[in-house]
Amino acid sequence: MTLLQTLISGLLLGGIYSLISMGLNLILGVVRIINFAHGELLMIAMYISFLFYSTMGLDPYVSAILVIACLFLLGIITQRFLIQPILDTPASTKIFATLGLSIALQNLALMTLSADHFSVRTSYQSDVINIGELAISIPRLIAFIVAISVAVLLYLFLKKTMTGKAIRAVAMQRQAAYLMGVNVKKIYLLAFGIGSALVGLAGAMLMPIYSVYPTLGTTFVLIAFVVVVLGGMGSMFGAFFGGLIIGLVEALSGVLLDTGLKEAVYFAIFILVLLFRPSGIFSLGKGAEEVGLK
Amino acid sequence: MMHIIKKNKFLLLLGIVALLLPLFVHSKFHLNTLILLLLFATIAGAWNILGGYGGQLSLGHTIFFGLGAYTSSLLYLNYGTSPWIGLIAAAAISIAAGIFIGWPTFRLKGPYFTLATIAFAEVIRLLCLYWRDLTKGSMGINIRFEPGLSNLIFREYSSYYYFALVLFLISLAIVYWVDRTRVGYYLKAIREDEDSAETLGINVTKYKMIAMVISAGLTGVAGVLYAQFMLFFEPESVFNLNFSIEIALIAIVGGMGTVYGPLLGAAIIVPLNEILRSSFPALSGMNYFIYGIVLVLIVSFMPNGLMPVLKRIPKKFKSRKKVQVSGSRKKTAS
Repeated sequence: MTLLQTLISGLLLGGIYSLISMGLNLILGVVRIINFAHGELLMIAMYISFLFYSTMGLDPYVSAILVIACLFLLGIITQRFLIQPILDTPASTKIFATLGLSIALQNLALMTLSADHFSVRTSYQSDVINIGELAISIPRLIAFIVAISVAVLLYLFLKKTMTGKAIRAVAMQRQAAYLMGVNVKKIYLLAFGIGSALVGLAGAMLMPIYSVYPTLGTTFVLIAFVVVVLGGMGSMFGAFFGGLIIGLVEALSGVLLDTGLKEAVYFAIFILVLLFRPSGIFSLGKGAEEVGLK
Repeated sequence: MMHIIKKNKFLLLLGIVALLLPLFVHSKFHLNTLILLLLFATIAGAWNILGGYGGQLSLGHTIFFGLGAYTSSLLYLNYGTSPWIGLIAAAAISIAAGIFIGWPTFRLKGPYFTLATIAFAEVIRLLCLYWRDLTKGSMGINIRFEPGLSNLIFREYSSYYYFALVLFLISLAIVYWVDRTRVGYYLKAIREDEDSAETLGINVTKYKMIAMVISAGLTGVAGVLYAQFMLFFEPESVFNLNFSIEIALIAIVGGMGTVYGPLLGAAIIVPLNEILRSSFPALSGMNYFIYGIVLVLIVSFMPNGLMPVLKRIPKKFKSRKKVQVSGSRKKTAS
């Protein structure tokens, strides 16, 4: 029974990881940039959510739509003023630009908001559904359901709508898409915006579960990288299942090995995947350089 | 050697100033800053060989730094081995780690290599925290203050300064050698276009590995100096991701793939850091906030760092003189 409980906790945790990773994956797949500031976007989203809660008393689930809008804007601003000017520079430049943004945002939060942890108090926060001896936390279940819905909706959006198709076209072949009349710059803005909006949603869903503090992003961004690489860069369902796998691995290694080692285990998996299957376990086996959207 | 000195009187002057500096600087704060400056210039110089020349942007250099610090300190604390021997052991362990990490990851390109180095550094940090019997975990390593040349612990900061200076000069000589030999040219070729370099017959993996071995060994040795100077460290301080970023930042600000870039970068970043830390002790994070902004600005507007800009100044100065002498040759002067 405890094993089953561990598995369920792991899956629910994995849902949270999936939610955070899908935005990162979209940005990576389309704009082809490794966004180190993704964790800081999550941190900002949670601070905004907390701000709505503390000033207006808005429940994190209610203010989610506002947080999403804020993050969408923030993503567009980042893309337009930081990423767009350096799009044609070598990979090193891009890495260090987002890395710089990440450090600056994290420490700006540390300076202005102190290192204190902030959390919201809601009536349903510690509610659980009991099935036999199993206990399922309601906020975590909600986050999990949201993660599934996002994966499905994102998939449909990318497959069925014109905009989604344009995004995929840019992800596959920037030049060709441009020649076919796709406004590549606009698509980049949109992809970065949606990717950031997704992390905004993740932040809103996380607020009832975790407290927010300035360095929160570092932990989650590393996990998100692990998830994205594991699932296959550019693959939305890959990111979703990758998140679940990492959640399960974390929960299981916490029980079977030692809580101090659970992170080491998924980093070890990360290294193994990078070495033996850099295109990820859900991709079709293209080289690691071939990141497109699937 | 003579021709280098003749060519660059400025550097000679700088060298003399560096040698005589402790005679005039007595404040512990200033000497501390200078020691850290030299230490960071050494590490960033080591990073520069792999990252700047070879284009393999490692964000896991803390691995070698931390392994160096832990190797010599644990040998010293557990077996009483002199840190002088610890220096060799640290270099050996760091090089072994470099080969172990480089061998599988050199296949990865661009950002994927960077991500892999971060992951390796995280695994080692977490193992170091976990393996309390050996490393004392988050308690950290405390070295007792027993001054003595054989212990590599000094009462005077100036002794540490000279030690750091010697280490830095050794690293500078190595980087200079890399810059002027086949190794440097091959590494630059790999950085510019790995596939073309390979097509031209360069053994890409071999030269990356040479860069890694030199880089890791030097960083490991720098770790020993850090341990003997600080006398206390813990996994979070030596295996910190921010520290890895700081090393890269110094090389980037100064100029990647240049001999003196890391020194220039360290001369800007380290004093800035120390001044910020002492002037705004309440505002924790201020120094890193400015790092972040500097990183974004440098990367966006001066991707080659400050060194190329600095190099242009004397040329401009000279050319302006020429123009003044003979106004008719304006065009050639540019």
